[in-house]
Amino acid sequence: MAYILQQLLSESAKRYPGKTAVAARGKSFTYQELEERSNQLAHLLQRHGVKKGDRVGIYFPKAVESLACMFGIMKAGGVYVPLDPQAPSERISYIIGNCAIKALITTGDRLHALSAEAKNSVEFSILLGPGENGNVPHTMPWASLLEYPADSSPQIQATTTDLAYILYTSGSTGRPKGVMLSHQNALTFVDWCAETFQVTSDDNLSNHAPLHFDLSVFDVYNTIEAGATLYLVTEDLTLFPASLANFIRDRQITIWYSVPSALVLLLLHANLKAENLKRLRIILFAGEVFAMKYLRQLADLVPHVDLYNLYGPTETNVCTFHKVDRERLGNMKHLPVGQACANTEVFAVDADDEIIEAGSSREGELYVRGPAVTPGYWGDVEKTQGAVVPNRFQPNFEEKMYRTGDIVTLSVDGDYYFVGRRDSMVKSRGYRIELGEIEAALMSHPGVREAAALAIPDDEIGARLKAVVAPHDFGALTAADLQQHCATRIPKYMIPELIELQESLPKTSTGKIDRVQLAQAPQPVAQ
Amino acid sequence: MTQQVQSTKEQIREFVREAAQRKGVTDVTDTLSLVQSGVIDSLGIFRLVSFLEENCKVRIADEEIVGENFETIDDIERFVTTKLSK
Repeated sequence: MAYILQQLLSESAKRYPGKTAVAARGKSFTYQELEERSNQLAHLLQRHGVKKGDRVGIYFPKAVESLACMFGIMKAGGVYVPLDPQAPSERISYIIGNCAIKALITTGDRLHALSAEAKNSVEFSILLGPGENGNVPHTMPWASLLEYPADSSPQIQATTTDLAYILYTSGSTGRPKGVMLSHQNALTFVDWCAETFQVTSDDNLSNHAPLHFDLSVFDVYNTIEAGATLYLVTEDLTLFPASLANFIRDRQITIWYSVPSALVLLLLHANLKAENLKRLRIILFAGEVFAMKYLRQLADLVPHVDLYNLYGPTETNVCTFHKVDRERLGNMKHLPVGQACANTEVFAVDADDEIIEAGSSREGELYVRGPAVTPGYWGDVEKTQGAVVPNRFQPNFEEKMYRTGDIVTLSVDGDYYFVGRRDSMVKSRGYRIELGEIEAALMSHPGVREAAALAIPDDEIGARLKAVVAPHDFGALTAADLQQHCATRIPKYMIPELIELQESLPKTSTGKIDRVQLAQAPQPVAQ
Repeated sequence: MTQQVQSTKEQIREFVREAAQRKGVTDVTDTLSLVQSGVIDSLGIFRLVSFLEENCKVRIADEEIVGENFETIDDIERFVTTKLSK
């Protein structure tokens, strides 16, 4: 039984050396190639000073090399940090400083765009791309790893509680926060998936989510665990539903996992036909609420496919699941997030600090305990203590549990239902967005006096983002100015598509911005 | 080049530039990859399709909404012009 993630690859490389492990952009790695490349990368990193626990960033559009990086970094004892290749370089520079990334695997133009401070703090970079010859100081081309031993990885003494990777998510105070995940955190989920979905070496999995998104943990590690094949969905494919539908047909995808909005896009615009999806056997979705009308359409379109709703914040990966029951679907108003996965316990705590019982009509905040729960946020003791708290319901020994911030109810049959958030985190296209981070980006513009970000519910993508801004000098600032300013600080999916300028924002009696009133204002139709 | 083609391209440029502005991108050339630069997201594509159908009087099938027709402003123009000439 694997206790560190890289063992999954080494085992499958022994069993299926010649089988394709991963393919994208016309390139592929067999299991043996992936094992060898990651061994070589591990030796290279170690030779250049990467030690156990050091952070190494992966910062380029997803490609077969992405997997070699993930495994190679872990084999060197390092912790990998997948960085959004489309995020503004200012945000990436912040993350590089925040978790002290020692080495970066990236492209020349991306390295060049980083802040001087970030560039100086990275000790060395490995550059991908055809023209890279290592002429830039402290860089080396990807091909230089071929000089290192391929047949075994460096000796490191690793344990299951060591960190494997850090995933950065939106932070309410205006800066992203790094969720630390150990090998054990990931394997708790991977083991449950392997058992529940019976992934085998005959399966073809897709990877739709970006690699800095926790949905990709299933795609990557369950593929490798089973000796299956992973087909990466590159950014250009995600925009074009017809191309994506052809991808599913041509690659003979058997297990698909994505946010619901990607499935809605396929349903509405790809002219999907069941006969093109014959080999598909499982669809998993997570990250946001699936509008029931679209879920019913999907269930009818692919009657042979098992559908599962997976739920869980990055801090726990997935902690509950619900298998869609087609016979009940017609009468259901909401889809439950379901019941706890194996090796995980969840419970909801109400306003009186009591655990909610099945069938009670009360609402409570969902808590998670078990080996899937994150040790906390990188370098942020305060945020960690606010979210990963001592289990006060169990006095016998010290143990932590995670407060999800999600408000739920618990039905008679033991299924949890998502009701809402206790804070201002929203989901749009499955992306986790703190409205506070958008407001901080707006407020950082010198012409802005007050700003409020709002989420307008939307069936297709979960939520559309809007902001209401009061400038210092009304008339001196346009929505486009502010959108351009935001683009230098936050990812494009976080930029409000609509920015309304007002002389001042409505206030509550205590002088705070009145978000309720703002949200109730009539919403113009988005163009 | 005919007057008709010019105005089609101008319309496409204007639409794309407005969409780009909402994403904070100002430097939009006719050969910029709208996909790689993040100017157009999944909803943006369909807004663009509706815009083209309304303003350029073309019918666009789901199967035609693919990268090779929508990668750049030049590609979109070529695609629309070809459709109009059929």
